[in-house]
Amino acid sequence: MFPEIIDTRPLRRWVDDGLEWVVRAWGDEFEAAAQPLLFLLNSIQRFLLWLPWWLIIIVLVGLAYAATRRAVLPIVVLIAMIFLGLMELWEDSVKTMALMIAATLTAIVFSLPVGIVMARSAIVRRIVTPILDLMQTLPSFVYLIPVVMIFGPGKIPALIATIVYAAPPLVRLTDLGLRLVDPDVLEATQAFGATPRQRLFGVQIPLALPTILAGVNQTTMMALAMVVIASMIGAGGLGYQVLQGIGRLEVSRGLFAGLGIVALAIIFDRVTQAFGKQLQERIGLSEVGK
Amino acid sequence: MTFKLGGFVAAIGLTAGLMVALPVAAQAAECGTDKTIDIAEMNWPSAAALAHIHAIILEKGFGCSVEIVAGDTVPTSASMLSKGVPALAPELWTGTIQDAWDKGVAEGTVSVAGVAISDGAVEGWWIPTYVAEANPGLKRVEDLPEYWELFKDADDPSQGRFYGCPPGWGCEIINTALFEAFELEDSFNLFSPGSGGNLDAAITRAFVREEPIAFYYWGPTSIMGKYAMTKLEMPAYDEAIHACNADPACEPKGKSAFPTPPVIKGVATWLLGEAPAIADYLKKSTLTNVEISRMLSWGDENKAGARETAENFIATEADLWSQWVPADAAEAIKASM
Repeated sequence: MFPEIIDTRPLRRWVDDGLEWVVRAWGDEFEAAAQPLLFLLNSIQRFLLWLPWWLIIIVLVGLAYAATRRAVLPIVVLIAMIFLGLMELWEDSVKTMALMIAATLTAIVFSLPVGIVMARSAIVRRIVTPILDLMQTLPSFVYLIPVVMIFGPGKIPALIATIVYAAPPLVRLTDLGLRLVDPDVLEATQAFGATPRQRLFGVQIPLALPTILAGVNQTTMMALAMVVIASMIGAGGLGYQVLQGIGRLEVSRGLFAGLGIVALAIIFDRVTQAFGKQLQERIGLSEVGK
Repeated sequence: MTFKLGGFVAAIGLTAGLMVALPVAAQAAECGTDKTIDIAEMNWPSAAALAHIHAIILEKGFGCSVEIVAGDTVPTSASMLSKGVPALAPELWTGTIQDAWDKGVAEGTVSVAGVAISDGAVEGWWIPTYVAEANPGLKRVEDLPEYWELFKDADDPSQGRFYGCPPGWGCEIINTALFEAFELEDSFNLFSPGSGGNLDAAITRAFVREEPIAFYYWGPTSIMGKYAMTKLEMPAYDEAIHACNADPACEPKGKSAFPTPPVIKGVATWLLGEAPAIADYLKKSTLTNVEISRMLSWGDENKAGARETAENFIATEADLWSQWVPADAAEAIKASM
C-alpha cells in the first residue's frame, strides 16, 4: 500500500466547496450562456416532431439512395424506421435524433477550427491532445454531476456531456486529414502563388474532406453511444426507455429501445459513410483526370 | 417504495463482487456456518454503511467469512430469491418487489430478519423550508398549481417543474399516478431526473442557491440530514388507493400519502437455520432514523466512504452495537479496532 503522506480530505473539501461557490455565484450566468444550445436543440426537436412521420422516412430513404445509388441501404433504412414506428418508439427516436444532431452540429462548429489550428501548430497539438484524451476517457458521471449543478438539470447538461464525449474524434481526424494532404500538392499551390487562406480553403480542406467526414461519422456514432448516459441526467428519448427497462427488469422494453438506438446508429453511420466514400471517389477521379 | 439507482452498475457489481480482505482476528463467538456470507452493499449511503457495519461485526465478532458484494434492490432480491446469495441485504426496500418477496417468504427461500430502521423511513413530496416560510399558503400538494411560477421549468417556462422519481424506481409509477390524481398536468411538468445522482445534484443546486424546488425524496439520507425541507401535505395514506397508484393498469388514480415504506433486513433462510447466533444478532441490530442520519452526516462531513463510516460507527457508538452481540464478541470487535 502507498503510505498516507498527506491528508487528502482538506483538498477534497476544497474542491467540493469550490464547486458549491461556483454554483452559488455563477449559476445564472452559466445557465444564460448555455441558452443558445438549448434553443438549438429545442428547435431541432420541435421541427422534427412537427414533420409528418412519412416525410422523415422519405427523406432518410432518399438520402440513403442518393448516397449509395443502390437499393440495399434504402431498404435497410426503411425497415429500421418502420421498426421504430411499430415499437412505439417514434417520439423517443426523434428526441434522440435531435440530441444527436444538435450535439454533432455544435461539435462541428467547435472541432473544425481546433483541428485546423492543431494541424498548423505543433505546440497547439501538444496542448490539445491530452485534453482530448481526457474528454474521451474521463468517466462521464464524474463531470455530469458538476455540470448538472452548474447549468441546472435538464437538456443542457445532457447536450454538453454528449458534445464533450463526441467532439474529440472530429478534432483528431480534422487535424490528421489536413496533415495528410500531399506536400507536393501544397508546394505546387505555393508555386502558383496561392495565399495561405486560399491554400487552406481551396486545397487542404477539400482534399481532407473524406477524413473529416469520417470524423463527423465517428462523432454521430459517439453521440448516439451517449444517449443512455445523457438520459440519466434528464435528456429523455430512447436512452430513457432503456433506463426504465433496466430499472424495472422489463427486458423487452430495454431490448427494443436498445435495438432502436442500434437502428438509428446504422442509418446515420451508413448514410454518412456512403457520402464519404462518394466524395473520396470523386477526389480520386479528379486526380486520375489530371 | 423507492427502488434505488443504477441497475446496470448493480448487475455488473453483483457478478463481480468485492472481496473484503481483512486478516482474521481472534474470534470469540461461533459463526455457525463455514459458508461465505455475502452481504449486499446497495449503492446508496445508508445501506452501504450498514452493509459494512454488519460485515465488521460478523467477521470480527463472530469469526464468519464475509464478503461484500455490490447490489441494487431488484437484482439483489432476484438473486436472493433464486439462488440464496447474497445471504444478507441489510436495507431492503421491499415496496417495489412486494409480490416476489412475499412469495419467497411463503416458500421459505428468504426471510425477514427484523426491520432495518426501527422508526421507519420517510417518503414524500418536499419543498425547501425557506420556500415554505416565504409562502405560508403553500402547505398541501393541492396548493402547488397556485404557486407554479415559483418552480418555473427552464426547458418549458410556461409550466412549473416537479422533480419526480428516476426511471425504473418503484416510486416513478406512484409519482406519476399522484401527479395525475392531483391534476397537476396543466400547471406542472413531471420532470424525470433520469438517475438518483441527477436528482441529488438538482436538489443540491437549488438549496445552495436558495432557489425554490419541488421534488420527491425519501429518508434516511444524507441530503435529508443536510438540508431543511418541508413535506407537502397529502390526504392520509389509504391502502387501496395506494395499491391502485402502484399498479400502472389500475384506474382511476387517487390521492393518498406514501405509507411508511417497509425497509427490512432481508436474509436467505439458510443463514438463519445454519447460524442461530447470527439470526439472533440480526434481529437485534436495528438503528433509528436519527442514528443513521448522524452516521451519514459524519461520513459526509469527513468525506468518508462506506467502510470508513462503518469503522467510525464501530469505534464511536459501542454503546449501541454492543447490545446486539454477546459480551465476548463485543470484546473481540473492540480488540480488533
